[in-house]
Amino acid sequence: MKFTTIDIKGIISPFSAIGKVLEHPKTVCYPAQTKTVAPGYRGFHTNILTDCIGCANCQDVCMNDAIDMITIQEEKNPKNKSGCIPRIDYGRCCWCNLCVDVCPPNSLALGEVCIQAEMDSNKFLFFPKDSSC
Amino acid sequence: MKNLQKTYEVTQKVERLFEVTVTQTDFWEAVLYISTQTEFNTLSQIACADWIEEEHFLLTYILTTDARDKNLMLKLTLGREYESMPSVMTLFPQAEVMERDLHEMYGIGFEGNETLYDFVLEQWHDLPPLRREFDTLAFVHEHFAFKGGREDNKDVKVEQKRRREEAKKQKALEAAKQEAKKQETEKQETEKPKEPNTHATDAEETQDKKPDTKEAEDGQ
Amino acid sequence: MDSKLIKIFHGPQHPGITGNMSVELDLLGETIKYARTHVGYLHRGFEKLVERRTVIQAFTIVCRICVPEPDPNEENFARAVEGLAGIEISERAKYIRVMVQEMSRLAAQMLWMGGQSGSIGMGTVGQWSLFDRDLMLDLFEELTGGRVYHMYTYPGGVRRDLPEGFLLRLSELLDYLEKKLPKYDSIFFDNATFKKRAIGTGVVPKEEALKNGYVGQTLRGCGIRRDLRKDNPYLVYDKLDFDIPVFDGGDVYSRALVRRGEMRESIKILRQVIAQMPAEGAIMQKLPKHRKFTLPKEDIYVATESARGEFGYYMAGDGTEHIRRMQVKGPSLIHGFTLLEKMLIDEELSNVAMIMNSLGICPPEIER
Repeated sequence: MKFTTIDIKGIISPFSAIGKVLEHPKTVCYPAQTKTVAPGYRGFHTNILTDCIGCANCQDVCMNDAIDMITIQEEKNPKNKSGCIPRIDYGRCCWCNLCVDVCPPNSLALGEVCIQAEMDSNKFLFFPKDSSC
Repeated sequence: MKNLQKTYEVTQKVERLFEVTVTQTDFWEAVLYISTQTEFNTLSQIACADWIEEEHFLLTYILTTDARDKNLMLKLTLGREYESMPSVMTLFPQAEVMERDLHEMYGIGFEGNETLYDFVLEQWHDLPPLRREFDTLAFVHEHFAFKGGREDNKDVKVEQKRRREEAKKQKALEAAKQEAKKQETEKQETEKPKEPNTHATDAEETQDKKPDTKEAEDGQ
Repeated sequence: MDSKLIKIFHGPQHPGITGNMSVELDLLGETIKYARTHVGYLHRGFEKLVERRTVIQAFTIVCRICVPEPDPNEENFARAVEGLAGIEISERAKYIRVMVQEMSRLAAQMLWMGGQSGSIGMGTVGQWSLFDRDLMLDLFEELTGGRVYHMYTYPGGVRRDLPEGFLLRLSELLDYLEKKLPKYDSIFFDNATFKKRAIGTGVVPKEEALKNGYVGQTLRGCGIRRDLRKDNPYLVYDKLDFDIPVFDGGDVYSRALVRRGEMRESIKILRQVIAQMPAEGAIMQKLPKHRKFTLPKEDIYVATESARGEFGYYMAGDGTEHIRRMQVKGPSLIHGFTLLEKMLIDEELSNVAMIMNSLGICPPEIER
C-alpha cells in the first residue's frame, strides 16, 4: 500500500522510545540480588514430620505418580502408623498443590525455595524439608 | 429454531444449548436441512466419544448460529468397526481438519475428504490412540524405560498392617516376659513385683485401637 | 509442479512461528504459491490422559493445553464439570473468575504484542510489553502461587481467597498500565513501519468469516461484532459494562487495533470487578465426595472467549469418577488450517510470521 501523504506522526512518534534511556533499569541482577517470592508461592515441598501421619493420601491423589512413601529413619510422630513419609520425585512433580489440599493433618506444604541444580537427573528425589523445628 | 422444532425433536440441555439426535442414515439429510434452513449454520466442533460398553461412537456435531448465541448438538451413533461417515466439508470448509483429527484418533473414515493423511501422529501404525481399547500405560511400558531409584516405595496399607502385627507380637512377647517374671517373683517372694515397660505398651495399645478418623476423610 | 518453485519449511524452529509447527511453502521468488500447515511436533495426548484421571486430577493438566493463556482452559473445564454435575458457584467466586479471565487476557495481549512486533523486527516493543506482562504475572503469583500455570479456577469455585490488599495492588497496576498503553501507541500502533507492512496484508474476506467459523479478532477485525462475553454470557459478564472494539479492514492492522482496544476494555472490566466484588462470601462450593467425585452420564459443550477467540470444550461423563471424553477446540484449529493455508497464497515470505501472529495461532491447542 502506498501512502498518498507522508505519515509524519508515524515516523516521529516511535522516537519517543528514546525517553526510556532516562528511566532507572528494573532488571533483577540475579546472583547478587534475588527476587523475593510472594507468600503462598508453590515451590519445593515442606513437611511437618511431627504431624505427618503417613496416610498416603498425597500418594493417591498425585496424578503423576511422583510421590513414594518411604520408611522413616527416626520416628517423630507416634501417630504415624505406617512409619512412612512421602518422598517426591521432582522430575515428575507438576506443583499442582493437590497433595497439599488433601493432607489430613495439614503437614505437607509448598515452600518458597524453587531453585535446584544437579548434574545427575536421578538426584531429583527429595524428602520434603522438615519444617517442624 | 421454529423450523428446527417442526422437523426434529429438540431437547434443551442447559441454557442456550440444544440437542437433536438422528440416525446414521438420516444424518446427511439432517445436517443439510439444519445448515441451510435453520439458524444453526456454522460448525464449531466435531466431538466424538467412545462408548465401548455399548459398542458405538457418539459423534456430536456442534453447530452454532451466526450470532454465536446458541449451540446445537447434532448427535448420532456410529458403529466402532471402522465405519465411514459422509464428509461435511462441502458445507463447512473448517470440517476438513476436524475430520482429519477424528480419522487419526478413532479410525473413522470420512467419504469425500481427500486429506485424511497424518495429522498429529507420524508414521503411526498402531491402534488409533483415542479408542478405549488402546491402553496408554501398556504402550508407555512397552516403549519407554522408567528411571530407577524409586524401588524403596512402600505400600502404606501393607506397612500399617505389618506394623500393627509387629506391635501385637511385641505386646504378646512382652506379656509373656512379664508372666515369666511374675512367676519368678512369686517363686522367690523376696522382691517386690516390678513390671517394666507397662506404661509404654499400654500407650501403644490404645493408640492402635483408636480408629484414626482423620485419615479416612478427604482433606480439602 | 513448476520447476521454478522452491519448497521451504517455515518452522518448526523459527523465531517467527508462534510455537512448534511448520508451514510448508512453495515459493516463486518471494511469493508464496502454495501453503500447507504441518503439526505434530507438540502432541502430548492430554485428551487421552484425562480419560485415565479422576476429575480433580484432570483439572491440573488442562491449563497446559495452551501456554500463553491457561486460564480460559481452566474456566472451560470448571464450567463443564459444574454444568454436568449441576453445581452453582457463589457470586464472589464468579467475580474472582472474571477477574482472573481478564487479567489473563491482558497478559496474553501483552505477549501477543511482543510476538507481533518481534515478527516484523521491532524488538523494543517486545521488551516493554513482556516487562508489563511480568507485572501481571507477579500478581498471579501472589493470587495463585504460580506465575504461568495457575491451576486456580477449580470446579466449584476458585482455590484460594484473595490475599490481603490484592485488589488495591491490582488497581495500582491498572493505573500504571493505563499510563503505559499510550506509549505503546506511539511506538507500535502508530508506527509508520508497522502500518506500512500491516495495512492490506493478510485480509480475511468478510463474507466467508462467519460461515467458516472464524472466531475472535479475526471476526472483529473485519467488522463483525461477535464476542461470547456479550453473545452467550457466562459468569457475570452480563452485569458488566464494556464495549467490543470492531474495525473494518480485515487485515493485520485492523486485528492489531482490535486487540489494542480490548486491552483498554479489559482494564475497564477489571475496574468494575474491583468495585462490584462482594467482600464476603464463599469462594468454593465443595464437590461432593471430593476425591471420588463422579460425573453423571451426560455431555455438554461450553465455550469461553479467550484472548484469541472462542475456546470450546466438549465433555462427556460416564457415571464413574473418570471423564469419558474431553475434546478441546481452540481458536487456532480453524485459523491455522482452513484460514492460514488460504490466506498465505500470494503473500510474501517475510509476512508469514506476522500473519500467523496476527491470527493468534497457537500449536499446543491444535495438537493438545
